Order: sequence, then structure tokens, then C-alpha cells
Amino acid sequence: MALTIVDRPEPRSEQELVAACIAGDAAAQRALFRREYDRVHATVYRLLGSNRDCDDLVQETFVAAFRGLARFRGDAKLSTWIDRIAVRVVFAYIRARRGAPISLDVVGEVEAGGGPAEDRAQAREGLRRLYAALAELPAEARVAFALYAIDGRTVPEVAALIGTTVVTAKLRIWRARRRLHARVAHDPILGELVREVKS
Amino acid sequence: MTLIEVAVPASEARRARVEDAVIAQVATLRAADRADAAVIEPRSHMRLVLGLALAGAAAAAAIVVFVATRGEHEPGVVAQSSPSLVVTPVGGSSRFTVGDAVVDAGPDTSVEVRTDPGGAVTLALARGSVDCDVAPRGDRPPFRVIAGDVTVEVVGTRFTVARTPAVRVDVARGKVKVIGPTGTAFVAAGESWPVAVAEVPAPPPAPPSHPVPVAAPVHPAPSPQATFDEAQRLRATDPAKAERLYRALAADRGVWAALALYDLADMQAAARPDDALREVGDLMRRFPDAANIEDAAWLRIDILRKAGRRDQARRAAADYLRRFPSGTYIDQAARVAEP
Repeated sequence: MALTIVDRPEPRSEQELVAACIAGDAAAQRALFRREYDRVHATVYRLLGSNRDCDDLVQETFVAAFRGLARFRGDAKLSTWIDRIAVRVVFAYIRARRGAPISLDVVGEVEAGGGPAEDRAQAREGLRRLYAALAELPAEARVAFALYAIDGRTVPEVAALIGTTVVTAKLRIWRARRRLHARVAHDPILGELVREVKS
Repeated sequence: MTLIEVAVPASEARRARVEDAVIAQVATLRAADRADAAVIEPRSHMRLVLGLALAGAAAAAAIVVFVATRGEHEPGVVAQSSPSLVVTPVGGSSRFTVGDAVVDAGPDTSVEVRTDPGGAVTLALARGSVDCDVAPRGDRPPFRVIAGDVTVEVVGTRFTVARTPAVRVDVARGKVKVIGPTGTAFVAAGESWPVAVAEVPAPPPAPPSHPVPVAAPVHPAPSPQATFDEAQRLRATDPAKAERLYRALAADRGVWAALALYDLADMQAAARPDDALREVGDLMRRFPDAANIEDAAWLRIDILRKAGRRDQARRAAADYLRRFPSGTYIDQAARVAEP
């Protein structure tokens, strides 16, 4: 007789998934984690530009999300609600590390491309300088700019994630951009990266 | 539209690792929540056991009051965790070991000890305080303490977690990772979490309610640990007295002398770097195998760095990296060692 192993069926709707997670169903928690992980990890990584501590912060985000899931009322999409937690976690991390030197060895990779090795090296150096410049900005401006210019969020999305009005979000992005452009005047490599950023 | 392209490195192994950590931590926190409820509810029963224990050991100062194993072993089922509950009375304390860790439960403490099949140890602290002396983890199974929504993970090696009911973490040696509702922080030797926590004054001694007994009480000399604890307590309020106590301990031999020299150096680091360097040098020369030798080596680098002695700091950092290639402070030391 053939033995068939079937996976336990996952909850069908988001509401069912949330309810199962709140009830402590580890399978549902894993399903939710896998559904949301890539986006959360990417956002945290792009905000920091580094893998250092990235896993810890993603872990912290999901633990906070699972612990607070009972308070999720469905006013926003679940993904937005989790992203807000991730942004709060990153905010706290940046504030706690204010003044700490940026790690020079683990700055993010540029988008894969087929260009010559020296172009890739220059782009990587540009990113290193970008994140070093971002590290000097106030946390609010840094996070708003990174969400907008690196993570690809719209200004209203940025406003929703950092909990401000659209006008305030726009202002923070603008301030960050202005500070970066001041550096670009003396740094052509950084200039290659941020020249196109407008808000 | 993304304006600046940053490729995010994808790793299935990394995702799986984080996923397992999240699920385990959420489960542990749920267990801690349940422990909170379980510990508070049957308190009257525990008091009864306490009373019996006191009657049988009236002279004992430190008593393990109540240890209950609640492991469930069913035939054919791999044993899961075997939680044990350790409760100490007001004014009492208890020392127990879990794996390679020595844990001192302070007065009026309730802590549940869980060991999973992989050897990972979790202490769920419902109230009171635990002082944990834990070997650096390296390849060893994780060791963590959960107090409410705060999780303390051991990197190594000696620390105290108090829940009164605010949670406070004090690290005497090595480093721990604290995961709290407001973020993750690494707390190193001599540091506390949260950073801005107010010192809780020691309660005043209770006035005698009866006439003084005829026979004068005998006051045994305080133990080195009691002296060390007293010195640590006095650091913020009476540094001169704390320094005297540390020096008295440092004049001796053994673990408390090494710890005292470290604390002494740590105390002096900001205002008297030369004195601090002398204490660290003394520690490293006299106690080359001390448990806190790595911390001392990093402290030396840190003092030199903050004093602006870059070349000396760089050499000390290079020396640290040679001696402790897998050390707790390699990231920081590598940054200092960079030319």
C-alpha cells in the first residue's frame, strides 16, 4: 500500500493565518514568516546597507510581530503593519548606535550586472560612501530617504511606515537629499549614485 | 521605482536560521508567560513548603525552598523539556547548576529552568533575580534568561538579571545580548541594561523589634563575593569606598582578586587612564589564566583608544587578535587595529 505524506493544510485567508498564529500554531507562524520574510529582510538590509546585525533585527521584528499580533486589528494590510514594526526596530537600532563607525567591510552589493569589474568596484565604493553619508544624518531623515530612494517606497508609503504625514515624509527625504548633494560636490563616485534621486 | 539599486543577498540557510530562532523565541516567551501565571497562582502552597523547610533548617541562610520537576515522559515519546521550578524565600537564596552554568537565585525569586533536548537552557524569571556564571557559548548550546518581554542571551560569561518588576541586567564579565521591546543591545562587562535605569536604594535595615540578646552576635568576616558585591553596589554612590574594597580583594589571590582588578580598572578608565592601565597590567600579569583575561585585554585597548594613544591601542588590538582569534571583541579590536 502506498503511503502518501501530505502537508498540513495552511490556513486559507490572512485572517485565519493570524488567528492560528495568535493561538500558538507553530506551522502557521512559519507560514507567515516565510510569506513576509523576503520583504522584511530586504527592507532592513537596504535601510542598513549591511548584513551585520541584519538577522538579529529581522528576528526582533518577527518576534515583536508575533507577540503583538493579537493587537493587529486589520486597519492596514498585515504586510504594512509588519513593515512598520521593522522600521521601528531599525530606528531603535540606529539611535542606539549613533556615533558608532560604519562597518567598511560588509556594505551592500550593487545590483548584479554584467559590467566590467572596475565598474562594479566603483559602484560598490559608491554604496559604501552613500551609507557612510547616511550614517551621519538624523535617524528620521536617514530612514525616510532609504525607504524612498533605496527600498523603492512611494512617499505616501514612507509616511505610513514612519508614522508621519506625507508632507513631513517629503521634507525628511528632501533634507537627506540636500545633505547628500552637498557631499556629492566633492565626491564624484557618490554623485554617480545619488544624482538621479529627486523627491 | 527604486532610485538606487542595492542587491539584497539571499540565503536559504540564513532564512531558515532566523525562522527557527523566531519560532523558538516566540515559543519560549509564551512558555514564560505561562510560567508567570503558574508561579503566581499556587503561591500559598509554596509558602507551606517553605515553612516546613525553614523548620528543618533553621540556621541555614540559603535554602532551596521548592524544586518541582514537571517533565512529562510518555512511552515512545522523546522527552521534551523538563522544567523545574526554583523558588526562594524572602531573605534566602539558592545556588544550583544547569549544564555548565552556576546560577545563584536571589531572595524572593521564582525561576523556571527548562532544558531542551539539544541542551539549550532557558531560565524564565517570574520575579526576583538570578546571577549566572556561564562559560562563553562558542559551540555550546544557547543559554538565555527571559524576564517578561526581555530576553538575555549569553555570549559569555557572568551576569545578573533582576525582575523587581522592572527588568535589569548587570554584566560582571564577558558580554550578553539583551532583546527587549525597544530593541537589541549588547551589554558588556561592567555595563547595565537598561542604560539609564535608576539605582534602587538598598532597603534600610529593619529596626530591632526585641531587646538585644544577652550574647553578642558573632559577625563572620564577609566572603570575597559579598565584598565584591558590596564594592559593585558602592561604585555609583561611594567610589572611594568601592575602590578600597576592590583593593582589599585585589591584594588576595584567586578569582575575586582578578574580578576586583578588572572592576578597579573599569572604574578608573575615564578619569585616571594611567591608573586603570596599571590595574589591567597587574591583572594580566598576575592572572594570565583568569576567566576575565579576554575582557581585560579588550579593556586595555579601550582605555588606550579613549586616551588618544592610537599607536599603543593599535598594537594592543593586534595583540588581542593574535591571542583571541575567536574572541568576544574581535570586531571592535579589528577596527582599532586597522592602520
